[in-house]
Amino acid sequence: MVKFLSEEWIEYGKNYILEKLDPEKDMKNITTSLLGIIEHVPPNDITMSFYLELRNGKLNDFKVNTGDSFEGKEAAYVIRGNYGTYKDILQGKIGTAMALLKNRLQLKGSKMEALKIIKPLDGLIESLRKITDEFEE
Amino acid sequence: MKQDNVLALDKISLEDAVAIAEKGTHCGMCRIDFLGTGLCPSGKKHGFLAYWPQGRMELVKHLKEGRIKPTEKLIEIANSCTLCGICDKQCNFATQLRPEKVARALKDYVNNLDKSKFQSVVEDDILKGLREIVGKEWATNDPIIIASYIRSIIPPNVELNFYIVMPENTEQVSKIIKFANQKNIPFLPRSGGTALSVATPTVLSNATSLEHGIVIDLLRLKKLEIHPESSTAVVGAGITAFELQKEAYKYKLRANVAEAGAHYCANIATTGVITTWGNSYGCLADNFIDLVLVDNDGNIKKHSDMDISNPYTTEHGFTNISLSPSYIITEAIAKLFPVFDDEEAVLVPFDNLKDAMDMVLELGKRGVGLSLAVLSYKYLAEFICPTPRIAKDFEDICKNYMKLRYVVDVICDKDDKKIVEEMAEYTIDQSLMKTLILGSPKLASLKDSEFMKILSEEEDPLRAIFAGPMRKHFEKGLDASPEQLAKVYDKDLQDFFKKVYSKPEMTNVVWLHAFRILPSRLMRQRMTMGPGGAIWAGDKNHILKWVDMFAEVGNKYNLEHALGFISPLDNGKFIYIEYDYFYNHNDADAANRISKTLLETTEKSLVMGQIFTLINYLFKGIYRKEHVLYPLFKGLTKEEQEVFREVLHSVLGDYEQW
Repeated sequence: MVKFLSEEWIEYGKNYILEKLDPEKDMKNITTSLLGIIEHVPPNDITMSFYLELRNGKLNDFKVNTGDSFEGKEAAYVIRGNYGTYKDILQGKIGTAMALLKNRLQLKGSKMEALKIIKPLDGLIESLRKITDEFEE
Repeated sequence: MKQDNVLALDKISLEDAVAIAEKGTHCGMCRIDFLGTGLCPSGKKHGFLAYWPQGRMELVKHLKEGRIKPTEKLIEIANSCTLCGICDKQCNFATQLRPEKVARALKDYVNNLDKSKFQSVVEDDILKGLREIVGKEWATNDPIIIASYIRSIIPPNVELNFYIVMPENTEQVSKIIKFANQKNIPFLPRSGGTALSVATPTVLSNATSLEHGIVIDLLRLKKLEIHPESSTAVVGAGITAFELQKEAYKYKLRANVAEAGAHYCANIATTGVITTWGNSYGCLADNFIDLVLVDNDGNIKKHSDMDISNPYTTEHGFTNISLSPSYIITEAIAKLFPVFDDEEAVLVPFDNLKDAMDMVLELGKRGVGLSLAVLSYKYLAEFICPTPRIAKDFEDICKNYMKLRYVVDVICDKDDKKIVEEMAEYTIDQSLMKTLILGSPKLASLKDSEFMKILSEEEDPLRAIFAGPMRKHFEKGLDASPEQLAKVYDKDLQDFFKKVYSKPEMTNVVWLHAFRILPSRLMRQRMTMGPGGAIWAGDKNHILKWVDMFAEVGNKYNLEHALGFISPLDNGKFIYIEYDYFYNHNDADAANRISKTLLETTEKSLVMGQIFTLINYLFKGIYRKEHVLYPLFKGLTKEEQEVFREVLHSVLGDYEQW
């Protein structure tokens, strides 16, 4: 169990996804990429982001960074929200779809295409929820 | 501490108080002075919901359940009630409840508490920050005050991890949002709270409420200016439909407003002010000249800003669903319209929907009338009858004896009235409507009478009663007077209601349409869920199929249901339909069936296509109708339907198993 957005979190996340999620059953063999921008990250109120790429349902890339972009990476979807929203999602207080519908997360990209991957995304979040137990206050 | 069951001052136990409180539906009618009684003094002074009758009713329930523990604030709240009786009069008009009894029970309960056992409330950093923005008095984390917001923005079964803050201007709203974002706390604005309270017992509970965080209560944004020279009004977010209309009427002007207790700005944000006046006054962005809003980053924007990107457009397709506003409207410059001296009401009764709809669309396309609607017998009965029992019998008489299933309801000038009268075989005019309002108890008492049996055997009962010789006897027999009507109220309130019903406006159908104090009666002691939406008017079969679908789903889930209203919009180019389901909001099984109904009717509507459902309508109010309603999206494909269901699963879990 690790701290959200830490290097450890990325490593645990990668391993967990590779070991526990079945590319076909859980991830529907999807090929997509997602840039998650996290604003107001405590304690210094900075912006961070993570980039996640799946190919045929298999994790291809997962990294974290400060700022709101990754050089050379053009994600199919960009979701933006504050740290509290991501924390609520990872603590199971609100689902990703609900956060989108309630405008807690802003989406850039086709909403219909994004909703098509909501099921595998839920599985992914569920995995990350299981390894994340520490947050900045 | 004294026992709960002996808390009476005048024999009102806490159990009895809770029994009253449970029937409350947060209609918000105790927060507007619609009967000339003045306002609840404590609510007016302190603002927070806990100080208003509806808030006290909510509080009592949670105290009795033991969900909240008393704090010092509870004493202040209980004792701030002067037992003036205003709430009993207001609430009795709308719902027949007696909130003052609840306040009495609460006072007695509080006075018998052991104060040494009160829980203390600590000012944390968040509260401190909020108080720096709005002043100490207007921000709180006191669980007693927080509990009063349950069911009208806070879901019933969550931890009370909230702050309530009452800003008084746009700048403070902006600062609160920036502060909330910086502290990573979610927030949600609250105005009248009626839409949220309707949703609370259902599947929409979590979707439309705040799970934790900052409730921004907008009641203190009370700016209201009428500018007769430009026929506009500057309206703050704390101003209700009734308050705006009252002020506008002083200048012989009228606003296009929602139900009396709804806040005008919130209504623009939520659904763009859906009314029966929409065909001539407009809908969605037609309603306003300009808006001041605060976005989710706390930026203050005006629609008139030169550098703003197009604020009037929204995406299409079912994915445009939004369950929260992405902005808070703090001020609107509303359009106002002239009130003419020769305005009248004329209603045309029908026994079937198709003919009624044909007529209302014809009137809409011709631009006849200011307010146009098809109302069902149910609306008519609920609106004009003083109690639910009388409404029920009145409804049976309309439906089963008089064959009065629908009325085309028109507010118009005298020239348009002539057109309506020429188009109709017979009509109900203002004078007969006054008789029906004041004589509703007597009419209801005629259920199963010989007179009604004879009437029902007529070939055309409507003609017999509204155009034939029976009309004179019918009117006379109803014994319609304020004195007779007042007798249906509790003894101590009869004198008051005799005076109320002696006021000309209380039986003036034009005034009642403009001030909309009667729709709250649809919610009396129960909830009303009214899905529907907009549909182009060109294909009447499509419209009728849609209405039939609502009825079929209502029957499937064994719910009381009826068409609410159909109103043409934009010169009859499209119409808005509300279809209502009624249920006891304290019955979990009924709420479950309502949830299923809501999901099923929404999915079926999306599959039918060419329909803009209520769920799509939510938070589209600031956009232009041309962007929202053109084009209406085609029905869901199989693949899209699958996506829709997956989204529902993601949000609701295995909803088919409920």
